[in-house]
Amino acid sequence: MDYGIEVRDQEAVVRLRGRLTFNDHAKLRTLIGEMAQNPARRQVLDLSSLEFVDSAGIGMLLIAREEMANANKQFILRAATGQVKRVLTVAQIAKIVPIED
Amino acid sequence: MTLGATLPAAVRTRFDALHGPAMAGSRLDRLAQSLGLPAVPADTTPPVTARGGSVAAVFDGTGGADADALWLPPFAAWIETVDADDGAAALAPLMAAAAAADLYVNLSTGTAHDLQLGSRLLAALAARHPLATERRDDIELALHEAVSNALVHGNLGVDGMKELSAAELERFSRDLGDRLADPRLAARRIAITVRIDRTDGSKDGGGEDGDCEDGGGPIAVVEIADDGPGFVPNAVQPGAQPGAPQPDHGASGRGLALIGTIADGLEICDGGRRVRLRFRL
Repeated sequence: MDYGIEVRDQEAVVRLRGRLTFNDHAKLRTLIGEMAQNPARRQVLDLSSLEFVDSAGIGMLLIAREEMANANKQFILRAATGQVKRVLTVAQIAKIVPIED
Repeated sequence: MTLGATLPAAVRTRFDALHGPAMAGSRLDRLAQSLGLPAVPADTTPPVTARGGSVAAVFDGTGGADADALWLPPFAAWIETVDADDGAAALAPLMAAAAAADLYVNLSTGTAHDLQLGSRLLAALAARHPLATERRDDIELALHEAVSNALVHGNLGVDGMKELSAAELERFSRDLGDRLADPRLAARRIAITVRIDRTDGSKDGGGEDGDCEDGGGPIAVVEIADDGPGFVPNAVQPGAQPGAPQPDHGASGRGLALIGTIADGLEICDGGRRVRLRFRL
């Protein structure tokens, strides 16, 4: 998995690319740190270029959400497609994290 | 690949050649000779055999296993040698296991960890049986989850992320790194057999998965075995929403439930060291 962050006025958009699996633990640690550090109140994860996510990937997204809540930041998932959208639905993540189209 | 119906049950795949994508020619020749097979040199692409049969790929450690073409026909087995100093004697029983399956993988944890094996297996399976996009995605996820469980929790003994915190992610990350760096744990094996059957024969059914659908279509039976201490699965509650978030769930623990929603059968065998998944194709 790779990612890029674009910080605008109120919103940081993190675009994830590729496959997000248990193997990406180090990158997620860094990413969560970067999201906590930047000044934007809204942290949006753009999933439109993410091709695959596994259960550990979902878990790491939930950890990111928890850490953002601790930092008083909003955490939003956006534009999931294909397999990623399917897994988010099956795991009922929308009950925990706001998901935007 | 053969479907078994025309061959004795013990032999489902006949190998015509051995390919060592990153192996010295002399070593590959020696291994091939010990098995009575011709060697396909490393620089032959694609490795077509004279008889058009299946090819087994062998590796010494991590090199050469990540080329996409290596996971498509004619390849039907992917085996890491057990002892790089010799390996010939140890290879024979693994090749016998491969011959009894339609697809066979036997790798060390260190090699398998970086390989995205779920995706590789899916490619090998889809090349033999066409799958609709959603079914492809689902089966890939189930295979990936089962492989990850075998490697991370089984062979490496790393606990899942129990709490939703960066500290717990850090602990997981550190444990995984430490265990992978332990040569004894990294050498533990993962073995995967795939059998594709025209119908869901009841002979190797476990019974408890309770699949009573009419067994008309082809089915893939995938067994994934690790060298870890095994595990005791949580009781599956009938009617429970699989994969749904539960109050006591941390960041981990959804894998087996996801597998359960996707697979048409899930059995846990050998005290948790082996899982058997069935997928209607």
